[in-house]
Amino acid sequence: MKNIQLKQWGKAIFLALVIFGAQAATAQKAMDQFKIQVDGLGCPFCAYGLEKKFKEFKGIKQVAIDIETGNFTFEYPAEKALTLEAVVKQVEKAGYTPVTTMITRADGQVEESGGELASGNSGSMDNGETVASQATLKVAGNCEMCQARIEKAAKSIAGVTAASWDKKTKILTLDWTGKENPLDQVSQQIAAVGHDTEKHKAAQETYEGLPACCYYERIQD
Amino acid sequence: MNVFKTNRLMKNLKKSSLAILLPGLLFFGLMGCQQEDVPHEWQLVRTIALDSINPIGLAESNGKIWLSDGDHNRVVLYDLTSGPVRVVDGLDRPMHIAAVSESLFVPQYGNDKVEEIGATGRKEMILPDSLDAPAGVDVLGNQQAIADFYNNRILFFDGNEWIVFGKEGKAAGEFYYPTDVQLTETEIYVADAYNHRIQVFDKAGKPLRMFGKEDKMNATTGIFVGPEAVFATDFENDRVLVYSPGGERLQILEEGIEKPTDMIQLQDKLYIANYRKAELLEYGWLPVKTTPEKQ
Repeated sequence: MKNIQLKQWGKAIFLALVIFGAQAATAQKAMDQFKIQVDGLGCPFCAYGLEKKFKEFKGIKQVAIDIETGNFTFEYPAEKALTLEAVVKQVEKAGYTPVTTMITRADGQVEESGGELASGNSGSMDNGETVASQATLKVAGNCEMCQARIEKAAKSIAGVTAASWDKKTKILTLDWTGKENPLDQVSQQIAAVGHDTEKHKAAQETYEGLPACCYYERIQD
Repeated sequence: MNVFKTNRLMKNLKKSSLAILLPGLLFFGLMGCQQEDVPHEWQLVRTIALDSINPIGLAESNGKIWLSDGDHNRVVLYDLTSGPVRVVDGLDRPMHIAAVSESLFVPQYGNDKVEEIGATGRKEMILPDSLDAPAGVDVLGNQQAIADFYNNRILFFDGNEWIVFGKEGKAAGEFYYPTDVQLTETEIYVADAYNHRIQVFDKAGKPLRMFGKEDKMNATTGIFVGPEAVFATDFENDRVLVYSPGGERLQILEEGIEKPTDMIQLQDKLYIANYRKAELLEYGWLPVKTTPEKQ
């Protein structure tokens, strides 16, 4: 009699453990996985700083930056439904330039963003004729984070097909196609993200919002 | 060194006549004087590949060099002839370290702790206040100093009590993200990284002088105060600048340097951490090379 009761108790405990384990496993899985390719990582103090600041978010787990590859990864509770836009904004707020962002949701769905760099490009004129030109612009900046930010701002302007900023000479070289020379627009856009150009100055508060290593010497009037 | 050599010479030549010895001594003495007069400079001697160790901070321990490898959350004791001899894992972004006898002091940027790693174990340093990304530590006797990166301040223990100085700003005594600190007998040197300069304080925290700004450094990420010179890394410009303790620029080192974060002088050799390339550069204190133009 005692043996039968013990067996029943045993079964009950086993069942409870199975159910509890399954619930725990479900709870563990309920994390969204974030993978962001960040451009301009270089200074360890800033890169580790980005990692550190993200660690402060409640519920965030497994925060890691691989400086070699530029991969920034973390997990976040699925119930909070953190969006792509919010992540991109947060990374940009920290001074970095996200190139691609991928979320693998807890239910297996994958969301991706990227290719923003070419979003403004249009390769041909209204009449279908394509004209390629090149232009240069002096832009103030310091580091690889600056470079990524400047080039991204330039490439966001319609008609710009390539943008390359030289950290040493401070010269931005643009390739563009179309009727209108986009240099003035590019210059305004770069100033809007915090960098002085020979044509436009960044607002003081935008400049002060840049990360420490991007604190460049301002272009004088 | 000359006295030692001279004594040995005397013992070996006991029976020799003074008539032979004296002119010889005079000759070597003069040669020695001439050697001293030859201008010297730091020159690249060799590059040591560290095999996936990305060094940020350097500290010397019994002729070997501790390397903090922030990217891989560890510190590595490196023998300059045979390679790694000890690895301590499980750290959280270790930065500018300090070694005293058998102990290594490790500021951890990621978890705001400073740990002492000894021969027998590890313990956390007791501090008067919480830190936000400690980037550098130094220990001299019973004195300790910490560069508190995000709080823009230095914490200094004078052997009796802690004092704290500095705040965010550009004026003397203010910092824009200090990354490294070094104590001397009478002063505290700080790498004021994003003000692109070196600041020097007395041990009450009073600013004494600052230099380096005029050399247009771009992130002064590391500092080393040697017996005769002060070295500073110019991270983004791939340079190490050499100053007198008063701030006069003596030399600019560029050969082989790429994203330097720290350096250390061992006698007449200077070791520079090439963070990005996972290398140590060995510079030697050597006679200035004469080029045809100079001649």
